[in-house]
Amino acid sequence: MKPQFDTLQQLWHMAGHGPYVWTAVLVSLAVLGWLLIRPVQQQRANLQAIVRQAQREELQQAASTQQAEGGK
Amino acid sequence: MASGRNWNWFHRMGSPRWFYETTGRWLPWLWVLTLGLMLIGLVWGLAFAPQDAKQGNSFRIIYLHVPASFLALAGYYLMAIAGAIGLIWKMKLSYMVMKSAAPIGAALTFIALFTGAVWGKPTWGTYWVWDARITSMLILLFLYLGVLALQYAFHSQETGNKASAILALVGTVNIPIIYKSVDWWYTLHQPATIKFTSAPSMHPDMFQPLLVMIVAMYSFYALALILHTRTEILRRERKAGWVRELAQRAQPAEVRQ
Repeated sequence: MKPQFDTLQQLWHMAGHGPYVWTAVLVSLAVLGWLLIRPVQQQRANLQAIVRQAQREELQQAASTQQAEGGK
Repeated sequence: MASGRNWNWFHRMGSPRWFYETTGRWLPWLWVLTLGLMLIGLVWGLAFAPQDAKQGNSFRIIYLHVPASFLALAGYYLMAIAGAIGLIWKMKLSYMVMKSAAPIGAALTFIALFTGAVWGKPTWGTYWVWDARITSMLILLFLYLGVLALQYAFHSQETGNKASAILALVGTVNIPIIYKSVDWWYTLHQPATIKFTSAPSMHPDMFQPLLVMIVAMYSFYALALILHTRTEILRRERKAGWVRELAQRAQPAEVRQ
């Protein structure tokens, strides 16, 4: 196993096929990356939303018990 | 009867909580495996594999094209089977897996079509031909998008799940057609590089990095499917007690203020 290209420029150029090969590689990696990054971001947002919702309910509950005690 | 105990594993697997906790332990390993294999396979294929005698360097596109196509097809079976399990046993988790498989499959089919088009230009002189293999892959893309669209087309999640599952099952007819298209019809597309029944038609120096990329893509698929399914679980089970506890543990101070 030995490197097929002597310089990075040759690797980029690929004897004329560089534009095709690198377009295919970069677009594929962008799509694959998006498939992994998107759920990770959504997961983070979901967890935050769940915590906020729980806090809101706690506050509401506290407020309604206070009101009930105040009305006595 | 003992059958009650024998089916325990099946019911446990159907529990979103069990899935979430188990896969959570696998995730770090899958990330390392996927990124590591992908890096090795790509560097090997792009810089170290010998160039093709006829196609020159453009053949290096194979290292993404073939693995993406493999998983686009295998992923469709997985999605259809998940849909069938959902229909038969009314398993919630199974529908979540089905829904998660749709965008991943659509993206992989897109990669297969895109890399194929870019490869076609220097090899065949054209980006696109309406031949059997390419057209049936395009239909696969529409099937994936259809399954995804049906999820959002109904007010009731239940109806959407059933409609998606039925479309997924009907669409499986297309998969053997895609596999066999290069044998049944005259087509520009070259015949399969890898067959289970015979030795690969490639030189080992070219074939080994391809094998690495195929394993990398399977690992990627598992990782992506697990990540999407976990997101779906949190979204659908957000009112469940265990999800709330989990969210509190994951978000200590920043949101609490």
